[in-house]
Amino acid sequence: MHVKDGVLKYGFVGPALIFLIAFNIFPLLYNIYLSFTDAELSGGLARFVGGRNYGVIFDDTRYGVALCTTGLFVVLAVAVELVLGFGLALALRGPFWGKSVVTTILLVPMMLSPAVMGLYWNFILNGHYGVVNQALAVLGLFQPQWLTDPDLKLLSILMIDIWMWTPFMMLIALAGLNAIPPHLYEAAALDRASNWTVFRRVTLPLCSPLLFLAVLLRTTDALKQFDLVMAVTGPNDRTTQTLSALLYQVMFRGYKIGLGSAYSLVILLLVIVLANVFIRYIASIQAKQGRDVA
Amino acid sequence: MRGWRWLVIVPYFLLATLPLCWLFLTSLKTQEAAISSTASLIPTTDENIAPGGLKFSATGDAYRKLATPHTGKAHAFFHYLFNSVIIGLLSALASVVLGTGCAYGFSRFRIAGTRDWLFFIFSTRFLPPLAVVVPVLMMYRLFDLPNTHLGLILLYTAFNLSLAVWLMKGFIDEIPRAYEEAALVDGYSPFQAFYKIILPHSATGMAVTAVFCLISAWNEYGFALALNNAEAVTVPVYFAGLQGNIQGIPWPQIAAGVLIFVVPIAVFTVLVRKHLLRGVTFGTIKQ
Repeated sequence: MHVKDGVLKYGFVGPALIFLIAFNIFPLLYNIYLSFTDAELSGGLARFVGGRNYGVIFDDTRYGVALCTTGLFVVLAVAVELVLGFGLALALRGPFWGKSVVTTILLVPMMLSPAVMGLYWNFILNGHYGVVNQALAVLGLFQPQWLTDPDLKLLSILMIDIWMWTPFMMLIALAGLNAIPPHLYEAAALDRASNWTVFRRVTLPLCSPLLFLAVLLRTTDALKQFDLVMAVTGPNDRTTQTLSALLYQVMFRGYKIGLGSAYSLVILLLVIVLANVFIRYIASIQAKQGRDVA
Repeated sequence: MRGWRWLVIVPYFLLATLPLCWLFLTSLKTQEAAISSTASLIPTTDENIAPGGLKFSATGDAYRKLATPHTGKAHAFFHYLFNSVIIGLLSALASVVLGTGCAYGFSRFRIAGTRDWLFFIFSTRFLPPLAVVVPVLMMYRLFDLPNTHLGLILLYTAFNLSLAVWLMKGFIDEIPRAYEEAALVDGYSPFQAFYKIILPHSATGMAVTAVFCLISAWNEYGFALALNNAEAVTVPVYFAGLQGNIQGIPWPQIAAGVLIFVVPIAVFTVLVRKHLLRGVTFGTIKQ
């Protein structure tokens, strides 16, 4: 079927590609144009202002702070989720009674809407009537003001993110564990290797490619963090303002689209660098899979 | 011997599920009981229960109140739920149709730069919604699309297309080419081969892909917030807008609404559980 398919194949791939270009390449180019203007959300005539917006980014400390907040959030969230998720996967490994039910229930939080669950967590963490603080009171423990203490707000957002996304790490880690050939463990047992040696020499190295994939996926996702920040503190809280929240604040509360576009291009540059690492990695995995099949 | 696993599983299981149980309990309470500083845990059918105890009288009021508009809102919860359903379903359908065609094209034909195209498609998923939404908004203003269902449907279709293409390519790659070759020998046209052989064989894949597209549109917040303030508001945006309400946040109603909003997703999660891994990794890992 390689003779008459000249037009047909473009009929298959064309519509999707046109769609993606219209919603991705066009906005990107338009963003570049806007970033050199003083355009406002309300419309009106935009004037060319040269590199002024980019100058503002480097003078404005908000951008640097948001970058650090996002970085801190991503590193902490991904690290804790990885450790917890991997630990859970190790615990869930092998057959036991009720395994599939337990595993499926554990996976539910990651399928829920972060914006909606974030709002609901406000209720749970509320300083006056929140059930978490009431439980802490019953236990006679200190009751932190999760949502209003400037030192704790980011931590609260982190906890919600960890609640939602640990199952994601768990799911991928489980797949990695299940793919380890049992004969490696049999060989290790014959060699009288200690549990720790088996973990370090067999389990961890054989799982690590999938864990790395999970970390990359979570990292790119956590970098976009917006929904939980909006739900817990709103977009203009200095202690929790991630890059996306800052963008929202500048563009939709401050109406400064030109400046916002310059911000978003700098963010995009970051994301593109990361996406490249990611894509190379996926390509190498796929090449490996291809070799295994062949 | 492996009893230690429960030391990990049980505490985490409780942490993961207690918030959801609490959601259900809250939806059965009155506003006073929900924001009481002594939490009550056990629903009963008794009418008169002294406040402050562990028991509370369960009521379906929160669910009933969802049918009437909340103070300061134009519509009742179900209006926004309907918006979410329409936008989610239609955008999932469109993503699967476009994605399946595209995946088939890349799976079976020689197309220049196939790998680059696929990675371009993949990379579109990395863009933060807030970083592309303003140009989209400007473009939409030209066509009167802000505040419309169609506007969000088109945007979510584009947003989910990367997922749909990658997932469907994984599924279609698994269908042996011999099936189509046999059909072509029997005199089918290439398009008939796609229509009569590939589509039936990838039905499961399409259903799974549709579920993942639906969930991601259902849960989306950033685009929906930026593009809408009136007509096509979806549930996440509606709920977020209840924050800072003068009369206090109506927690039992929110709990009831959240429950109605998340139960379908929990059901879908169970239905596609065998394909979850594929879904969340863009088909790069197959079980």
